[in-house]
Order: sequence, then structure tokens, then C-alpha cells
Amino acid sequence: MFTTQTLWNFFYVLIFPGALFTAVVGLFLAGIDRKVIAHMQHRIGPPIRQPMYDFFKLMGKETIVPARANKIVFLGAPVVGFISLAVIMLFIPIMGFTAFSGNADLIVILYLITIGGVALIVGGSSSGSPYAGIGISREMVTMMSYELPFVLVLLAVARKVGGDSLVFSMEAIAEWQAVNGSLAFHWSMIPAALAMLLVIPAEVGMQPFDVAEAETEICEGPLIEYSGAALGMFKLNTAMKMAIMTGLFTSLFFGGFRTGMMWSDVALFVIICMVVTLVCITTIHAVTARLKIEHLFKFFWTFVSGLALASLILAWMGL
Amino acid sequence: MFKKLIDKSAAKSPWIYHINTGSCNGCDIELVACLTPRYDAERFGFKLAGTPRHADIVVISGPVTSQSKERLIRTIAQVPEPKCVVTVGSCPQSGNVFKGSYSVEAPVEQYVHVDVAVAGCTPKPEAIMEGLYKAALLLEKKREAMHK
Amino acid sequence: MMQHYPVLAVMLLFLAAFLVEIFGSKIAAIRNLITFAASTTALVLIYALIPAVMLRGEIISYWMGNWAPVSGYAIGIGYEIDALSLFFALLVVTTFWLSGIYSFGYMKKDHHLGHYYTLYLMLSGSVLGLVMTGDIFNMFVMVEIMTFASVALTAFRNESEGALEAGFKYLVIGSVGSSFTLAGIALLYGECHTLNMAQLSAILSGGLTKNSMMAMGLIIAGFGVKSYIVPFHTPAADAYAVAPTSVSMIFSGMVNKAGVYGMIRMVYIVFRAMDQSSVQMLLAVFGAVTMFVGVTMALTQHEFKRLLAFHSISQIGYVITAISLGSALGLTGGLFHALNHTLFKGLLFLAAGAVLYATGTTNLDKLGGLSKRMPHTTICFLVGAAAISGLPPFNGFASKWIVYQAVYTNAVESGNFLYVIITVTALIVSVMTLASFVKVTQAVFFGQLREEHKEVKEVPAIMLVPMYIMAALCICGGVFYNVVNTYLLAPASAAALNVTNYIDKMMGEGYADAAGVVNILAKPVEFSFWNPIMWLVLFGVVMAAAVLVIVFGENSRGKVLVPTENADPKYATFFSGEEEMFSQVGGSDLFWGFKKNWQGYYKVMQGLHSGIVTDYTTMTVVATAIIVLCCFVFMR
Repeated sequence: MFTTQTLWNFFYVLIFPGALFTAVVGLFLAGIDRKVIAHMQHRIGPPIRQPMYDFFKLMGKETIVPARANKIVFLGAPVVGFISLAVIMLFIPIMGFTAFSGNADLIVILYLITIGGVALIVGGSSSGSPYAGIGISREMVTMMSYELPFVLVLLAVARKVGGDSLVFSMEAIAEWQAVNGSLAFHWSMIPAALAMLLVIPAEVGMQPFDVAEAETEICEGPLIEYSGAALGMFKLNTAMKMAIMTGLFTSLFFGGFRTGMMWSDVALFVIICMVVTLVCITTIHAVTARLKIEHLFKFFWTFVSGLALASLILAWMGL
Repeated sequence: MFKKLIDKSAAKSPWIYHINTGSCNGCDIELVACLTPRYDAERFGFKLAGTPRHADIVVISGPVTSQSKERLIRTIAQVPEPKCVVTVGSCPQSGNVFKGSYSVEAPVEQYVHVDVAVAGCTPKPEAIMEGLYKAALLLEKKREAMHK
Repeated sequence: MMQHYPVLAVMLLFLAAFLVEIFGSKIAAIRNLITFAASTTALVLIYALIPAVMLRGEIISYWMGNWAPVSGYAIGIGYEIDALSLFFALLVVTTFWLSGIYSFGYMKKDHHLGHYYTLYLMLSGSVLGLVMTGDIFNMFVMVEIMTFASVALTAFRNESEGALEAGFKYLVIGSVGSSFTLAGIALLYGECHTLNMAQLSAILSGGLTKNSMMAMGLIIAGFGVKSYIVPFHTPAADAYAVAPTSVSMIFSGMVNKAGVYGMIRMVYIVFRAMDQSSVQMLLAVFGAVTMFVGVTMALTQHEFKRLLAFHSISQIGYVITAISLGSALGLTGGLFHALNHTLFKGLLFLAAGAVLYATGTTNLDKLGGLSKRMPHTTICFLVGAAAISGLPPFNGFASKWIVYQAVYTNAVESGNFLYVIITVTALIVSVMTLASFVKVTQAVFFGQLREEHKEVKEVPAIMLVPMYIMAALCICGGVFYNVVNTYLLAPASAAALNVTNYIDKMMGEGYADAAGVVNILAKPVEFSFWNPIMWLVLFGVVMAAAVLVIVFGENSRGKVLVPTENADPKYATFFSGEEEMFSQVGGSDLFWGFKKNWQGYYKVMQGLHSGIVTDYTTMTVVATAIIVLCCFVFMR
């Protein structure tokens, strides 16, 4: 049973590109986000390693389980979310390198990211706070909102790459881009890329789509009763989502670049992730205010879905 | 193994929860002024938290009215250790101009342990910043003391 | 010997039904003993067929009274069990066995239990007979027994509000559906002069006449009523909601599966029309509409069991969509989802029943915070909810994934954009399913405990056992999907696609060849997506790491504080400093941000679900007319 392959799999899952890599890149991206937004507002801003300080500080604080909460669910939810998010990066090709490749990556990724959100919802719900109740409602509606354009984007890419055969495999998409050029440079995929750029901040829970965790109106919603290590895990999960979503965008739309060497590939990947973060998370965050939940839903189901649908139809017309 | 890192982080990322116990709003806007580009408290890692469960430093402003006393005590109890309590302005310390009023129960030291007190009516943002920074350093000490 | 098992199982259940009424109407022990003995024996008899049928690929046939076909014409009633029949028979026996055990605890507080178990055994026997019979008229008889036993069971708690009304709706719509089936069968008999399905298949293989197209439309509509596809779903919501929960589980676990089975059997084997794209599109559209309407209606429900009922409808939509594709992959996905739906929906109904048993209500606005009082029910419910929402690694994920893949494959291969829309619908419906279970979780199990439920106790062990069995099966089905595929799905879908064996076994070797029957469709495909074992390995690793942190990290880590006394304000929920008070975010207004944007849609839906039986009957008849028309106009 314990062959070299198994050991490699453990390496993939735990270190690269699994848990550790995703977490470090995620925290790094979160730090970049905070630093750049500070500069945009003419501030100095925290150091780039600030999210790591936050994480370790939270690890050292007390974790209080409220009297109303169900202890197992309350403490288990962040761990479950972490586990599911830790494996997603394995399915995302880092330029030329893919740890696991199946023929259903797109759907698996879609659902594993959902688990991250569900963990937040179930954990928040189990805390028994009415603020959390409102928070999970908004989180769930947000999820329903961005899921439609997200699905349409994935199907558009699958059609563009696959043509008349079914391609749900990320590796195949990356290979196709290596041959035919990155999808972002195919004009029919540009609306899909724009839609995806708007899905990312909603998925990560950044302004203007952070209705679920609105700290000024509903006291951080689902996270209200979390403290200490459990809160730290959730903060880490959010950072990891940032790495995963930008990474997914990178390999879906900029997956065509190859430098030939593993390490430079990874560096390029992280740099593109960083640029994507700056464009779709930081800039939008800096210039917008929080939406209302019903407006958010409408925005995603009309405007963003429309963009994604345009791409899908163009792809079906063979363009 | 991570003890040192965690201890150090305690001072580097103090999250603030602000309780107004009947303040005239003067101290409150000065506290918020600390976060503006001019003073930028975020460069030390300060951040306003939405709920006491996330907080490291509790900032109290106002002369502790009778209505707010119970709520103040309850909220501070909900903050996880290690935590620091900082009072901003003269009101929480002495009652300031409200002293003697039937509805004011200052000083706040009678009910909760205060780590840092920033005096003034209102204190300058620089003073508040220094008080908060001292509290942040205190957090690291408290954390070390908790896990000897 | 083996060929007697199926008929014995059915006869035994019917016999036990009468024995319960005669001997068991007064004494609970005798009643329970007879019920348990009969259902367990049936379970064993059906499970004993697995090696022969599923592994060795045999087909078991049995002629009642040994009335074998004479000169190529089948006169007698025949039972024929191929892998497809056995697959559904397994669902049926598992469901009613677990439901029976649950009933012993759950129904204790009710009266006239002799009648209950009689009807329960009749229902079980009829559905089991329905899925195993080889005779189309016998099938109709079983459908009738099933319908009337269901009606009586729906209205069993006739002292409660709405029970009789639900029974009446079920009776009317069910009878309309049955008459359509009967009319279709009569048309077929008039044309082919036989009622044996194998022989019908052989005769109809020459091509469908207008007469048999009409028959097919009527029979699809008839079984559509039994499987509650939209717009035939109207009696289902009421029936599931007011029937005792053990019966609701039977309804969603096997009664509507019987409709699905009938549809597969008819369309794939008797009419063999699944190579026609018009039939595919007809069923696919009905399936997609079913899953969408089901889930959007579920999102607005305030009543736990009614919500589950609409989810049943929605999940059947997935099954119908998958089987509509006519591909081996689609059939595999559809059967897998039918199996999974039986498991997780049964589990959820049992959890709802446990809540009803413990608190006396299933109104989402009057519950809350039960997880602290009923931890086992909560865990089982969460497993079921995760499974129905299709979260990995539960079984719902595996089957939904195959459904998506099958639909999208059909889309790219046929170049038909309709199937893309259906794929997107299926994916979105999955998220909405998740949303509505988040609502239930928040409204029933989490949040704040109500004053009147402070003394609620966990349900007795006899009710927990079936729940835990089903929860375990939900996880196993998702992790070991390959085993399920090899031993259950692959033989069953192969049986539905390869018709010649079915005909030959019943009518004698060479009959199919003589009639010119060829197997239209290819043999089933292998599928694999990702390796859930890897996920489990990771889970183990993280758990080990967590344990290490807890054991060795005491020096650096912050402590986890668990409340010891409730009075300590440190553990109180944060209410902006106020004292804790009762404020539970209930079920009815959880998703107003969503509902506000869908006002127009819900207004239309409200108009359609008027609750008036004449309206529902009209909908049923109109939909049947549409199906028949489609069969006439578009079929070759």
C-alpha cells in the first residue's frame, strides 16, 4: 500500500500544491490586498505578512463555545471547510503541473468550493445567534447568486475547449491552452472572463459582495460567535478561497504560458494570481460600497450571467 | 513550537472592539480618526472588529451611564483572553463634566479591570494611538503569562 | 428453487396483511411479530436473488400455475426478474423493512394499528409485485392496489387537519392516472393480443403504429402520475405532509420509484422508443421542469414534511432527466440517483418524523435549537441534507455528477442547446436544494431552543437504528460508488438496454431473433471521476494532526472553553450587550433576498397550486394531452 506514489500523494495533499501552498499563497494574496488598498487610500498599511500575524494570534486566543451552540458542529465546521479547500488546489493545473487529474475536475472543484461555504453556514447557524441567522441567509443567497454565472462560465470553457466532445478536465483545458494560446486571448471568451472576475469577489466575500459578513450591520454574520482558533481557521479558509479562485481564473484563462521549468512556472502562476487579485478584489473593494442582498442577486442573475451566457452561446456557435 | 511566533503575533494584530458607554461622541470620532490615512493605525495591525468575540482590545469611551453598565460588563466578559481594556477620554476615568449626575456611574475601574487609560477631553489621536500601542504590547505579555 | 423466491415474497406480504388484520388488531406484539417476520422474510428472499441475477446475469422467470406460452403466445401471468427489476425490488424491500422497524417505535401513540400494518403490508406487497411482474395487466392491478393502499395510508391520521383532503386529492389524481394506464394497456392489447411485456416488446419491435404511440403517451402519463412529475405532482405535497412519516418514507422511497420503474420498463423495453430524440426531449423537458418547480416550491415551504415532499418531486426530476437521455451513462446516473434518493430522502423523512415524534410539530416557524436535545437526529439529518445537496463525498454527489456528465455529453454529441440549459438547471437546482436544507437546519436544529421544547428527549433507539443504517449507506454509496456501479447499476442498466435476453427467457430461445429484435443500444460504460479514498486519507491525516495539536500543543495553543454553567455571561450569545432573549430566525423568512427577486414567478406558482382538485385534474389531463400529442406529432 505504501508505495512511492502514496508518499507523493501525501506530499501533494499536505505541502504542494495542497494545504500548505494554498494557505501560504492565500495569506500572501490577502496581505497584498490589504497593503495595496492602503496605498490606494494614501495610507502606509499593514505589512504584507499581516494576515499571518492575524492567523497565529487567533490560534493563541481562547476559543469560546457559546452555551447555545452545538459543540461538535460548532468546532467541526471550520475543520471540514479547511479540508475541502485544501484539496481543491490539487485539481487546478499550475501552468504545466497538475497533481491529480480526473475527467470531472470542473464539477468537483465547483462542489468542493461549495463545501467551504457550507461549512461557514452550518458553523454560523450552529452558534445560535440571530445575527448569524441573518448572516447565513445572506451567505446562502449570495451563493445561489454567483453559482449560476460560475456554472455558465465553466460550461462555456468546457465547450470552447472540448468542441464536440465532453471535456470537464482541468488538465485538458490547460493543455489546450498551451497549444492554442490562453483563453483570455480568444475574443469569444472575454465576456466569460469578465463574469468570472466578478464571481471571484462574491465567492471570497469581498466588498461589494460581503453582505453576509457585513461587520458594521450584522456583526460579521455567521462568524459572530467564533473566537480563537476556530475563527482563525475561518479566516484561513477565506484566504485559501482567494488563492483558489484566482488560481482557477489563472488556469482557466491564462493557462497557456509555459516557462519550461517547474519553479518559474509556479512563480508565474502566483504572479498572475496576484494581478487577478489586484484587479478583481482590491480595485473593486476600494471603489465600491456594500450592495443589498436583493440587488446582489439581481446583479448576478442578470448582468454577470448575461456575460457568461454570451460566451457560452458564442462557444456553441463555434467561435 | 509555535509559541514564540504566536506570542509575537499577539502584539502585531490587535483587533479593537469599541464600546460607547454614553460618550458625547467626541472620543468616538477621534478613535475613528486614528484609522484615517493621516494616522493609519492599520499599519500596526489595528482593525475594528464587529463583535467582542473577535476582539483583543476593548476600547471604552463615555462616563458609564447606569443603563450601559450591565451591558458593558457583559460584553467585556464575552471577549476571549488575552484581552486588554483601554479607556479613551476622561469620562470613563472620572466622569468628567458629568460627575455627580444621578445616571452616571464612573469611574469604570470599579467594574472592570482597566489596562491603559488615555486621558483628555478629547485625547488627540496621537495619544489614543500610543495608548492602543501600549495595550498591544501588553497583550503579548499577558499571552506569555497565560502560557508559562 | 430460486424462481419461486419473488412470487413467494409477494404472496407472503399479502398473506401477512390479512393475518395482521385477523390476529393482530388487538395485540401489539403479535401484530409487530407478523409484520417483522413477513417483511424480513421478503427482504431475505429478494436479497438471495442478488448472486444469480446481479452477478451471474441470469433472468428469473416464473409462470403462475405453470401456464407457459403456447405456440408463441403468452396466456398466463408471468413473473420475470431481470437486473432492472431486481434493482428496484432491492430498493423496495430495503425501504419497507426499515420503515417497518421505524413504525414500531413511531406509530406507538396511534390507534387502529391493525389497519395500519395491513395497509402497510398491502402497499409493500403491491409495489414489490409491480416491479417484478412480467405481465402488463398484472402491473396495472398492482398499481391499483398501490394507489388505494396509499390513499388509505395518507388519510390514516384522519383526525389531523388536512388528512382527508390529501387522501381525496390523491384518490382523484391517482385514479385519473390509473385510468390513463388502463386505457393505454387496452389499446396495446387490442393491437397485439397479448399482455406479456416480453412478447409485446417483440411484437412492437417492428415499429410503432399510431395506435401504439397513443398507448405509449397514455402509459407515460399514467406512470408520470405515479412518479409525481410536474404537473402531476399536486397530490404528492399534501400526501407526504400529512401521512405518518414512516409512510411518507415509503412514498418517496418506493411508491414514486415504482412510477419511475414503470416508465423505464415501458419506454426502454416494451416500446423501445428511447432511440428517438423526440421522446428523449419530451422526457428531458418534463424532468427539468420537475426538478426546477419542485425545488423552487420547496424553498418557500414552512412545513418540514411538505418541504421534503417538494424535494422528492425535484429529485425525481433528476432521475427522469437522466433516464430520458437513452444513453447507458444516463441510465446509470438515473438509477444511481433513484437508489440514492431512496436512501437520503428516507433518512430525511425519518429525521422529520423524529422531530414530529419528539415535539409534536413540524412547522419550521415553531421549532428551533433541537440539536442540543436531539444530537443523534441532528447528525443523521445533516448527513441526509449533505447527501441530497450533492456534497462530496456523499452518495448524492456521485449520482448527480453522473447525471450532469450524461446530460452534457448528450448536449455536445447532439449539438442541442436544450441540453445545455438542462445541465445548468440541474446544477442550479442542486444549489437551491442546499439552500432549502440550510433553511431547515437553521429553523429546526440550530438557533435557539423554545421554552415549550426544553424537555424534549431524543427519540427511542428503535427509531434511531433505521436512521443510522441509512446514514451509513449514504456515506458508503458515495465512497464506494464503484462497487455500487459494478454490482447494481451496471447489470440493471445493461438489462434495460439489452432486450433480447429478456424476451428469450420469457418466450423461449430464439423468439427475439424470429421477431427481428436487435439490441439497439450499446453496453454500459465504466465511469470514474475522482478518488474519494484519497479524500478520506486526507481526512485521516488532518484529524491526526488535530489530535496532535490538542495533545501536544497545550503550551502554545489557546484553550477551548466549553460552557459549564449557563449563567456565565462569557458563554452567552452576543446580543449587542443586551441580556439573552428569545430570538430565533425562523424558516419562513430566511431567503427573502431571493424570494423578492422571484415574486412574479411565485405568483404564477401560487395560482397553479390552488388546492382545488378540479384544477389539478385539469392540469393532469392537459399535460397528458400534451404528452400524447408529442408522441403523435414528433415520433417516427
